[in-house]
Amino acid sequence: MGAIITLSLLAILILYLGLYKAEKALLPVTLIGLALALIFELRLWGENPEPLFHGMVLFDRFSVVFSIACIVLSGLIVSLSKEFFHSLKAHVAEYYALVIFSLIGAIAITSYHNFAMLFVGIEIMSVAVYILSGIRKVDTYSNEAALKYFIMGAFSTGFLLFGIALMYGATGSFDLSILRDYVTDNTSSISPLFYAGISLLLIGLCFKVGAAPFHFWTPDVYDGAPTMITTYMSTVVKVASFAAFFRLFDFVLTPLDAYWTPVLLTIVVITLFVGNITAVMQNSFKRMLAYSSVSHAGYMLFAILAIGPLASNGLLVYSIAYSLASIIGFGALYIVKRDVGSELFESFNGLGRKNPLFAGLLTVAMLSLAGIPFTAGFIGKFMMFSAAMSQYHILLLILAAFNAVIGVFYYLRVVVHMYFKNAEDEFVLQISPMHMTIFVIAFIGTLVLGVYPDVLTSLM
Amino acid sequence: MSLFYFVAFLSIIFALMTIFTKNPVHSVLYLVVTFFTFTIHYIMLNAQFLAIVNFIVYMGAIMVLFLFVLMLLNLNEDTEPMKSVLVKVMGVVAGMCLLVVLFGAFRVLDVSDALVGPQPDIGLVKNLGKVLFNEFLLPFEITSILLLTAMVGAVVLAKNDTKKA
Repeated sequence: MGAIITLSLLAILILYLGLYKAEKALLPVTLIGLALALIFELRLWGENPEPLFHGMVLFDRFSVVFSIACIVLSGLIVSLSKEFFHSLKAHVAEYYALVIFSLIGAIAITSYHNFAMLFVGIEIMSVAVYILSGIRKVDTYSNEAALKYFIMGAFSTGFLLFGIALMYGATGSFDLSILRDYVTDNTSSISPLFYAGISLLLIGLCFKVGAAPFHFWTPDVYDGAPTMITTYMSTVVKVASFAAFFRLFDFVLTPLDAYWTPVLLTIVVITLFVGNITAVMQNSFKRMLAYSSVSHAGYMLFAILAIGPLASNGLLVYSIAYSLASIIGFGALYIVKRDVGSELFESFNGLGRKNPLFAGLLTVAMLSLAGIPFTAGFIGKFMMFSAAMSQYHILLLILAAFNAVIGVFYYLRVVVHMYFKNAEDEFVLQISPMHMTIFVIAFIGTLVLGVYPDVLTSLM
Repeated sequence: MSLFYFVAFLSIIFALMTIFTKNPVHSVLYLVVTFFTFTIHYIMLNAQFLAIVNFIVYMGAIMVLFLFVLMLLNLNEDTEPMKSVLVKVMGVVAGMCLLVVLFGAFRVLDVSDALVGPQPDIGLVKNLGKVLFNEFLLPFEITSILLLTAMVGAVVLAKNDTKKA
């Protein structure tokens, strides 16, 4: 709770700093505030988790770990976005504030214990991101992305709310403990309303995480939004949404897995194929990453299929691995776009010779996304696959392995462009020390997690 | 009970009219009437607060917004984009699937005779306030962040940037 209060105050403080034109102080103050919030979360570590505020929130190990992940990732992204935010000239403070607001929503949905908190949290997180994706007001793509995201988000919220309402109708409560008791006590006589509620809730949540066939907004929004905002959307927002998804199914719906497993299995298979096959066909690096994020949603859904302690660990490792690699990928894209002016694969030509360090970091990020051993992505995939294996989803595993191979193909495409294609000019990218530091941090994280994953898996 | 069926009948009729009329302005007006019938439902359930909020916010504020947008966009039958048959068929199939799921769920429910549930006072403003400021205090407070976010966003997006030199 301390973290949520700290972040709320931080956002207001940032707005005041903007009012007094203290633009230099924005990033340091934001980072200090995030560090404070992190300390508050860490202090919850050893405590005995109990639902607080009439069962509204529960800060258990799972929620603390995911909240910390969201705070750290936000810190990295905010530092990475400094240059972009300041290049927009007007309303710089508001952008920082909106990112922090969104983070508050993310923390609320990783620690909810009541549907009211889930709903309010999802809305806070999404509304801030709807605005952020439209902040380049003169860019029509940015406007389109914001509007599409807003309309699709509002639509999916409708499903979510309807699902929650039906579940309330069946049980008379929003509280996860009461819902769980209802499910375990009446396994044979569960109201059909409850089942309809599960279906609608599943649809709403799949919309939010961008799983096919509810993924149609993802490529356009990720592509149209400013690159730094896309980074935020595809990391923090996605991780928090998955944490919320997992929490609901883990807490309440495990006894009813016979009902929702076939549905989810179908969604996973469609997501994997749609994401990977369309990613292969893209010419733009950004759009490729957008589609690949759809396919990663498919892998992350494995955790919900194979729910349990193994799966929650897998989800954590996978989300961190994916987020770190995405930060490098999108950060690199931002720099290339800024200096070369294009998002196509061709703009990466010859980087291996001109900017060797930068190209090396990007290569490792791509290998991690593809799931090559000694990177975090491999460990993430391995844990997800073994979790699915423990539930005997053999056919799913074969299909997923097939998809992983397709993934290697399109992730390596950018590497091929960097090392084996020659550029026409000798233009060397200017990478600021700030960007480089973030890339190196993400790179070290990727390797450490790839070689010694126990640093994370021992946490939960 | 007969009053309930009459109002429910009206709700369905006007909801259908909303989607079947060609003219967007008529459609919005039918939607207003649909919301009005919902308000009557809420009053019959003794949910006074909900009825008032529905009346003021939905029928008043949101519908006015709708009409404004429609007038600004100047939509009419001619500008309605053509939708392909495939999209229409897919829409019908998906909608029918949802209907089947919901109907399947509602069909087996027990019908209660009494128009007002076991706790007739539950929808009164007094009880709602008690729940809101006691049990649901945290979400209520956190909603303030949501409103602040929306406010900041509205200002950021709507404010006219000064021309860059």
